[in-house]
Amino acid sequence: MNGASPAAQQEVTLLELVDRVLNKGVVLTGDVTLSVADVDLVYVGLRVLLASVGTLEQLESSPQ
Amino acid sequence: MVYVYAFVERPASVPDVRGIGDARVEAEAAPGLDVVISRHEAPSVEASEPAVIAHARVVEALAASNEAVLPARFGGGHADADGLRAAVAERASELTAALARVRGCVELGVRALAPAGQEVAAASGGAYMRARLEQRREAERLAEELHAPLAERAREATRTVGATPRLLLSAAYLVPKGEVTEFREVVERVQAEHAELAIVCTGPWPAYSFATAEAGSA
Amino acid sequence: MRPEDDKILHGVADLDDLATELDRIGTAFPTRVNADPERVEQGLAQLVLTLVELLRQLMERQALRRMEQGTLTDEQIERLGETFMKLERRMEELKREFGLEDRDLNLNLGPLGDLL
Repeated sequence: MNGASPAAQQEVTLLELVDRVLNKGVVLTGDVTLSVADVDLVYVGLRVLLASVGTLEQLESSPQ
Repeated sequence: MVYVYAFVERPASVPDVRGIGDARVEAEAAPGLDVVISRHEAPSVEASEPAVIAHARVVEALAASNEAVLPARFGGGHADADGLRAAVAERASELTAALARVRGCVELGVRALAPAGQEVAAASGGAYMRARLEQRREAERLAEELHAPLAERAREATRTVGATPRLLLSAAYLVPKGEVTEFREVVERVQAEHAELAIVCTGPWPAYSFATAEAGSA
Repeated sequence: MRPEDDKILHGVADLDDLATELDRIGTAFPTRVNADPERVEQGLAQLVLTLVELLRQLMERQALRRMEQGTLTDEQIERLGETFMKLERRMEELKREFGLEDRDLNLNLGPLGDLL
């Protein structure tokens, strides 16, 4: 292994792992309660981001 | 809610591993195969990093103790076991065929990265477009050159070419467990023949990328 | 042992590059978000710029495909190319203004990630 830091290796393998778990694998349909819907996966990131913005706005506007 | 981790050739050997939220992991019989699940009070599972890691850990443990495992994608849940069985019944032959295809194999991932400086500088809009098009064509040609010898050593392969200007190739190869060392040697050889590229091989993974009939066609 | 341990078989000198490229295609988990922005504007900028970058790349790929098929006139090609170049330059300026790096411009786009 040439020069690759353990942190960088771990990060890449984590990316590979998450890519597989979230984007690959069997998806059943039919009578399915998809616990995390396709569209939710898109919006999870947006919601996290908006939530962080919202929290800050609250902090900034709350009385000191 | 019944949460699904993977589909396993019967009889499934369920290892001593906990699932999402530390839930108990068990095998549920379904038409033609076993499904590895955990049961939850809540109707849904949060898309959090610990949940994703827990899912991966269960699939990994199953692949270590079973010959044929089809990983399920994260987030698959059913109201109850009957609903799950009905969904499996609809695709039973496809799933059992997929299990037979991946039996005894692991997935190896390969990515090839072009050097930095792929940005196109151009004097005009037309020149920019022509340069980008030429860049894509060259990337496609190079990606095929990398992919061909690897695909030859694999039972099946899938690939994406040029996801970004630098990421020439993103591929997955289904390789029998006993042939992983030879496959890695081919990767080393391809890297040696293309010293300017950075080629990274990861794995072995459970056969995530080969879990459906469409996935295995390259 | 975590499932991601010992998975890299062939390392390269700078995996940070690969990590950045994987981020571009939306592979990273949504937690890689500027969750502690110094200013509210930076969080919004991150959101907006990510969406703009996604659209720019989608449109460019579409345009290149049509160019290959021969369904664009020379004038259209010229105008599209100039627009993409300007957008790219403007993106770089905006990223610098808001102190964002390529890797900050990523949300996990799930199935959409592959479109990039």
